[in-house]
Parts: sequence; C-alpha cells; structure tokens
Amino acid sequence: MNHLIEQYTIATTQKYNFPQPTIDATLPQRFIEQSIYSLRNVQNQTIQLNQQTIQQETPTHTLQLKLDPIPLKPRHEETPVAAIDTSSMKIGETSLGILIAVRGATVHKHNRHYNYMRIGPFIFHVTEENKKEVYASLQTAYFAFSHEHTQTYQGMMNIAQMPTRIANLLEKWLQTTLTKTLSKSLILFDGSLTAGTPDTPTRLMKETLRIARERGNAVLAFSKMTNLRVNGHIITEMQPSHKPPYLLEAVGLKPKPPIVLLGDIYVARLTHGNYAFRLDIDKELRHEQKIGSVESLLGNDLLQQSYPETLRLAHILCTFTANEVIAMQHFITRKYGLKILNRPDIHRLLFGLFGRGEGYA
Amino acid sequence: MRLYKKEGNIVQILSFPNETVEKGDYLLVEDGEAGKALIVQVIDVQFASIPGILEELLRSLPDGGELIQGEDFDPLEIAPHITYIQDASLLICKIRATMENENLSPSSSWLPSRSQSTIKKLPIPMLLKLAKVNGKLPVILGETKDASLLTIDASSLDGRLNIITGKKETGKSHLSKLLMLNLVEYKATVVIFDLNGEYISLGMTSDEKRNAYNDKIHVLTPSQNFKVALKQLNLHVLLGILIHALHLPGTSAREFRRIWLSLKERDMLNMHELGEAIRNWHCNQHVRDALFSRYHSLANTGFFTDEAAGTMFLEECLFRAREQGGAIVVNLKNTSAIDRQIVVEYVLGKLVDLLTCWKLKATFLFAEEAHLYLRETYWDDIVTRMRHFGIFTTFITNQPDTIRENIYRQADNIFLFNFMNEHDLEVVSRAARVDAETVKSIARDLPPHYCLALGRVVRDFPMVVKVKALDVKTMGETRLFFKDTN
Repeated sequence: MNHLIEQYTIATTQKYNFPQPTIDATLPQRFIEQSIYSLRNVQNQTIQLNQQTIQQETPTHTLQLKLDPIPLKPRHEETPVAAIDTSSMKIGETSLGILIAVRGATVHKHNRHYNYMRIGPFIFHVTEENKKEVYASLQTAYFAFSHEHTQTYQGMMNIAQMPTRIANLLEKWLQTTLTKTLSKSLILFDGSLTAGTPDTPTRLMKETLRIARERGNAVLAFSKMTNLRVNGHIITEMQPSHKPPYLLEAVGLKPKPPIVLLGDIYVARLTHGNYAFRLDIDKELRHEQKIGSVESLLGNDLLQQSYPETLRLAHILCTFTANEVIAMQHFITRKYGLKILNRPDIHRLLFGLFGRGEGYA
Repeated sequence: MRLYKKEGNIVQILSFPNETVEKGDYLLVEDGEAGKALIVQVIDVQFASIPGILEELLRSLPDGGELIQGEDFDPLEIAPHITYIQDASLLICKIRATMENENLSPSSSWLPSRSQSTIKKLPIPMLLKLAKVNGKLPVILGETKDASLLTIDASSLDGRLNIITGKKETGKSHLSKLLMLNLVEYKATVVIFDLNGEYISLGMTSDEKRNAYNDKIHVLTPSQNFKVALKQLNLHVLLGILIHALHLPGTSAREFRRIWLSLKERDMLNMHELGEAIRNWHCNQHVRDALFSRYHSLANTGFFTDEAAGTMFLEECLFRAREQGGAIVVNLKNTSAIDRQIVVEYVLGKLVDLLTCWKLKATFLFAEEAHLYLRETYWDDIVTRMRHFGIFTTFITNQPDTIRENIYRQADNIFLFNFMNEHDLEVVSRAARVDAETVKSIARDLPPHYCLALGRVVRDFPMVVKVKALDVKTMGETRLFFKDTN
C-alpha cells in the first residue's frame, strides 16, 4: 500500500495545520523555554550516560468483564483517523539530576494516506531543585491550574518519574489540540480514558472529550498493556470462541476517588490471532456510536495484530532510537559544554556477565 | 576524527561529515605523549555502525517502500545532530609507517592513545618530503588528490622491474610514454616493443610538429627499415628463433648448427647460401624438410636480408641513444605472431650481446602485452638473468593474468590503473610490495587516468595520482565505425 501526503479535513484550511499558532500554543512554547532554561543550568557539568535506557511505561488498573461478544462489521464510509503518542527517555545523569528527552507525534490517515507531525525532542535538565519549577511551569501552561493544585501533586513527585510526567503533559496537550482541530474523525489515544491522576485532571479530560464530541469526533484509547483481571485472568487474554472482529464489554469497575473512568472499557480483538487490547471509548457516546466508531476504524485503517496502524505509526515516530539518543547527547555536549563521563556500572563490576546493569533489580 | 580500533596493521578511525576524507588519503595519528605518530592510509570508507540506524531507516519507510510524509517541529534543532551522527563514517586505514622525530620506520607495533591522539590529514607534499620520495632525477608523474605534484626519482626505475596494468582505456600507455620520455631526457636508452604502433609518433606534438624528443626517437619497422643480415647474427640467437619461435625439433637444430658452422667457415653466411646448403646437405629427408620449412618462414618475414642497407640500423640507434639518450621503438604493428617472436628474439639477443661486452651500459625495456610475443622461458630470463646484464623491464598489460605470478612477486614498482574485475585485482595483489586490501579497495574506484603508484618509486607509500598530460601525437586509437557520425 502506498502512503502519500494528505491533509487533515479541517474546516476551511487547505493545509495540514497542526499545531495552529492560535490554538493553545502555550505548552510547546513553555516546553522550549523550560528546556533551554533547564539546560543552561547544566553547562560545563559532566554527565553519566545511562547504561540501560528503558522506555517509560504507563501504570494500569483493575476490574470485571461481560462475556457476550459484540460482533463488529467494518464500515467503509470515509472517516479520517488520527492518533497521538509520546515518548520520554532519560538520556543521561548529571551530578545534580537527570537529562530527559520528550517527543510527541500525531499521525493522520485520510484517503488511505498517512501524514505525521512530530513535536520535539525537548530536552530537560531536571534536578531536585528545579523539578517543581519545570513541572509547574509546564502544567500551568496546559492545565491553567491554580498554584495550590500544582503544589499538591508535586510534593509527591519523584525525579525518576519526571520523564513520564512531562511526556504525559505533552500528550495531553496534543490530544486536546487534535480534538479541537479535527472534526468527524476517529481520534486514537495511547492508554486509557482514566482521569483524576496527577497528570490527567478529570476536568481537563472531560473537557477534551466534550470538545471531541461536539466536533463529531470519537475518542478511542488503546492500551498496549493492562492489569485488569477477571477471575485471575488478564482480560485481554480471555478468548471466547467467537470469530473476530468483536468487542467484549467490561463492567463494574469502581475506581477509588479521585480516579474516574471517562470511558467504557472493552476488550478489542479486531483481527485474527491472539492479540487483544483494552479499548476505552468515550462514555458519553451512545452505545451505537461507540460500536460504530470501532467499525469505522475497521473500515478505515489498517489493523495488524488487532492494533491500528495509525497509532502504531505514532508510536514508532515518537520513539527515540539509539542514534537519536547519541545525537541528543552530542547536542548537549556541543551546545552546553557538557563532558560525557561514563561512570562504571556497579552491577557489571560486581557480577560481571551476571550483572545486567543498574536498571535491573 | 577519533581513533576507534586497531587490529594488526589496520586502524579504524571514526570520521564525521564535516571532515572530508577519501580513499587513498593519508592521515597522521599523533600521540603527543608518546612523541610518535602513525602514518596511515585510508583504504576504505564505510558507514559507521551507529546503534539504532536500522530503526531510523525503517520507520521512515513504514509501508509500501515510500517515505511517510510529514512535518517535524524541532525547536532545539536536534535534527542536524541526528544527521551528523547518522552520516558518520568509519575509515579503514592501513598503517604505513611510524614517525618519530621526523624519521620514518615501517613499525606498527605500538598503540597510540585512543583518547589523546589527534588525527589530521597528512598533505602529500609533506609525506613525500618525509619519505624522501623526491630525488636528483625528478619525474613528475602528475597531480595527487590535493593538487600537489607527485614527483618520483628516475633512479627508482633503474635496475627495477616495473608493471603498468589496468583495464582498457585507463591511460597505461600514456604513463609508459611519460616514463619513457623522462628516461630519455636523462639520457637513458629505452627499447620499446610497440605492439600497436602507439609509440611511433612520440617525436611529434599533438599538432604534428616535431617536439624536443624528435631526434631521440628511432622507429624500427621490421622488414622495412629494420632488417638483419645473417652475418650479424650469433648462432645461438638464430637457434633461439628456430627452436622457440619456429619450434624446430632438437635433431634438426643439431643439423642446422652444422650447416651454419660450415657456411661460417667458408664466409658464406647469407640467406641464399643457407637455402642452398640445406638443399644439398646430406641428412635425413625429414630433417631436411623441417629445416627447409623453417628457412622459408625466415625468408618470408622479409626481416632477413642479404643486402647491407638497413642491417646496422638497430646497433646504430642503440649507440646513438647511448651517447645522448634515446628510445628505439620496435614497431610490431602489422607483424604476424611468428614474425613478432622472431623480431623480439633477435632484439633481445642483440641487446644481451651488446650489454655483455659492455657496448651498452644498461637499457630500459618497455614491453606492451608481452605475452603476445615473449616465449614462456623468457619471462624468468628477463626478470632474473637479463636484469643482471642491464635490461630493466617495464611490462604494460590490460590482462594482468598473462603475467606470471613470480613476475609480480619480483616487481619493484607497480602502476595500477582501474580494474573492476575481482580476478584481475586478485592477480595484481600477489605482488610482494603491495598489500591485497589496498589494491582491491583503491584500484576499483580509480577514475580513468588516475593511477595507484606502488613500490619503490613512492617508497612503499601507495599514492593515487592523476597522470600528467603529454603533448605528443596520440596513436593507437581504436578505429571506430561510427566515428564520423558522432
């Protein structure tokens, strides 16, 4: 299949116009500011390269499941599909803190062609001293929260969580922006529609979904991993003898406040094979709209191993390769005069071949 | 550039896109603390093995082989750094020498510091100076890559065995002409076996005017201005012709010897008397027939004559060349294979005679496609025995496998033009003064008229040179059917 440039079907705008300068450009601006500001404070220090670089994962939840499959029939009416994903990575350590890189990507499929927009990488030097400032600045720019709210969550913040937290902020901003700019589209999120967490305030998530609905969009969130279990079994591993594509509806999950579920939870097995994913669909959509949106996805996107190609591309495009990590280290070394210091890996020193690096327990 | 790895005499150097280094360039790996430096030559340029590069390429081609289109908002401008890393190259370099206090030694037994060493390009003029390539008899071969002149010493060809090889139309004959004219300029005697009549106009400029070498170029065309009287011949030379060129059996050769001595005793050595003597000689009929058939072959060449005119021309030319330098071009164009062998046997025999009795000091022999006229046993003779008499040969060929392996092993200098064929490169790489990797890697990428000079002429520092143009009339061009149309 050939993939060519295509433009988002945004009213009156011929060109793919994301992000529009008039729409919530605050966060990337703040990302740039904070990135440069935090890096300036790191000049002429030595950095310790990571011996293990691990992509950050998002946490998961628990619940129950209905076993009657909802059969799906692909709908081929032309519907644009868009997906958002972000990546974060710790690219090194300094004597004061850590260097992290964050990047986001959106992919849009229309008329069988894919087009992408990548934002970043943004590099931050996060220390114990500046972590609150960096995060608060970014959070305020996006959430427009009061300072008190920001302080509440920051008190619990660990520096090691910063890459994920900052990436989440960028992801939320991308999600909101996309829901505001697209219409009559399927918008695919990576993860769930769970709100009430420090990174995903309920009010803002609700607002994002509301705008999406108003513009005729349907938000579908795919989780690559889940820890929701029924009778001890992970819900995505339960396989009724029904021919895919189908959905299994999960019911009865009562998260503890302040956590709220803004989506209905399904197990989506969209192609043959053993792959199934947790799928959250905007709770406020009517039942037939929810099912219809998944059927539209089946008819408008490639699905391999039950996973939509648009979301897969978004993930691939934002993921950092080793080459890019080296390039970012090169950038920091050149631009901010950091000297790279390869501190010995204690695990390797002590255990030789049996030491798998400091990233492992 | 950073030093990455050393294995044996191969050094790997990491180079970045802003550092332009090509195959054939020389680099100086200086270790300040050790007070020494390695002189290395780039023999191959590869992509550096960058982690994650495959993922990087794969994600730009997600499906159908077409690049996915999109935009990147890269506020910190990291992309140039990514490209910079992606385009990093790995220079595979061969250690040529160690420099210590401006003295060169072939040692590669020490290891420069990976972290402290500085690496820079070594300009060719500086290398030539360090290696003392320039001498008292300079011969400008041409320009090196950094536009400096590569000047060799003519004495590095003296007493040496040289090979000029490369595929067709890469400039082999041009280089041999250049070497030859420079030798003539230094009053050397040069003999050329000119298979295609390419050298006959060396005395003319491209616009057909007489050049400075005109009176030093002597063209001998067999059967025309170059003939031989039997009286001038030594018996062993003629027997050589009969046995090796005309395949006369041993028994018949013995009878011929008797006939020859008989005629010589009576001072009747000429073609007519030789024919009569064979006719009347008392011997086996088969022997007589064998001798007669060879006699007719000799007579039919037109090379042997009973007339005195033109018979002393070779000697005259050689003696003139001895005084003021000169090139004797033996024009073998339009000469049959047998006649070629006869002429070559005669010329080589004559040269050995003259050199043996010190009538000549030494001769530089240029032999184009020698396998077409040189008998098997002569190869070893030329590179061993004749060398001691003072015949210093330069073989020129586009079929390197026609020169035997032992010739390559003994070659002192090799001028290598482009070869694409793996087999050809394999043959050349057997030369003792060459390492196979250098030959295979550099020669394959040489453009026309560029030559890789190897051996004593460059003090074993292989150098790529664009051979200097010559203002001489070009001969030996391929005749084309569509020449006028184009």
